[in-house]
Amino acid sequence: MGDGDPMNKDTCAFGPMDISDDDVIDAMRQMKAYLDITPGDFKEIYRYAYGHALRRITKAVKAGDVMTRDVVAVTEDTPLKDVARTMAAHSISGVPVVDERNHVLGIISERDFLAGLSAKETPSFMALLADCLESAGCVAITMRKQKAGDIMTTPAVTVETTTPVSQIARIFTEKKINRVPVVDGNGKLVGMVSRGDIVHHSFPGVD
Amino acid sequence: MDFLNKMKGTTKSPPAVGLIEILWSWVGAFLGIAAVAIINDPVLKGTDLIMIIGSFGASAVLIYGAIRSPLAQPRNLVGGHVLSAIIGVSCFKIFGDQLWLAAAVAVATAIALMHATKTLHPPGGATALIAVIGGDQIHDLGYLYVLVPAGAGAIIMLIIALIINNISKNRRYPEFWI
Repeated sequence: MGDGDPMNKDTCAFGPMDISDDDVIDAMRQMKAYLDITPGDFKEIYRYAYGHALRRITKAVKAGDVMTRDVVAVTEDTPLKDVARTMAAHSISGVPVVDERNHVLGIISERDFLAGLSAKETPSFMALLADCLESAGCVAITMRKQKAGDIMTTPAVTVETTTPVSQIARIFTEKKINRVPVVDGNGKLVGMVSRGDIVHHSFPGVD
Repeated sequence: MDFLNKMKGTTKSPPAVGLIEILWSWVGAFLGIAAVAIINDPVLKGTDLIMIIGSFGASAVLIYGAIRSPLAQPRNLVGGHVLSAIIGVSCFKIFGDQLWLAAAVAVATAIALMHATKTLHPPGGATALIAVIGGDQIHDLGYLYVLVPAGAGAIIMLIIALIINNISKNRRYPEFWI
């Protein structure tokens, strides 16, 4: 699977397919000089060149350019109630689990909590709520005694500061995740890239 | 200094074509020139007519070797040769006793007319020049030069181009008629 076909209109607001023969002819008139190329051939070259440029530029932006640096993390021994309280306090939906030397051991997301609360394979919040409303009680007794290390997803998918953002986007889609910890050459946590970080970087001014 | 700066160039040469393109260019040019050359001699030998002039070698480069260029399209090939032949013969008739003048006016005017009619075809400049400096046999043709060899030769080479250039699945010709 490649970076996503740049010729696919779905990947950009407007793209190479929108250039018309008349656009090209008008541009050729602006050039004044005789140009030894047909408008159709120019359009074809333009589309290929656009794709090359897109691939080149998207590779240039790396994790280190878009990541959030002050990452909230927990340790394996952090009780789940503290993990949940931390996530709520910082309004985040995922948190990396690190050891004493700041290496990434795993990652906890809302999905890991939901999995702990329900017997189902991939529960959603609404499925859980529905179960709750149907049965007498739904209190996560076992979870109260657990720690971060018990429910975290491990090993966590990580990227490096030099990983191109286009590759991170592909990882998000393939693994169906929404965030990824960024580690340095020694495997230590240095940042986090979320889907929101990528959107924010691609469309600055949109918040 | 700006005038000299402009001569430094601004970009790179385009990439070379592949082997398939080179082979088909060779085949097309061979058959196209063979056609007009065979008609010239032996078919027309002994008559006052000729079917081959130097400018057809230049046309072969375009219509067999650069088939997507606007300069190689049928309108340019036929229009360029016919209009340039008219200009060339006319300039010889008007300025013929000053050959250098006839030659210069012929080529320059042929270019201007081809530009104005969107029939720019580099070999047209040669067709106009040959009408002036081509010698007695050419001069004796008068305006017949426009039809034979200029127009007829161009059309014969065009027919070969239409056939040969479309055989390979990666080549097509022409890009446009009008």
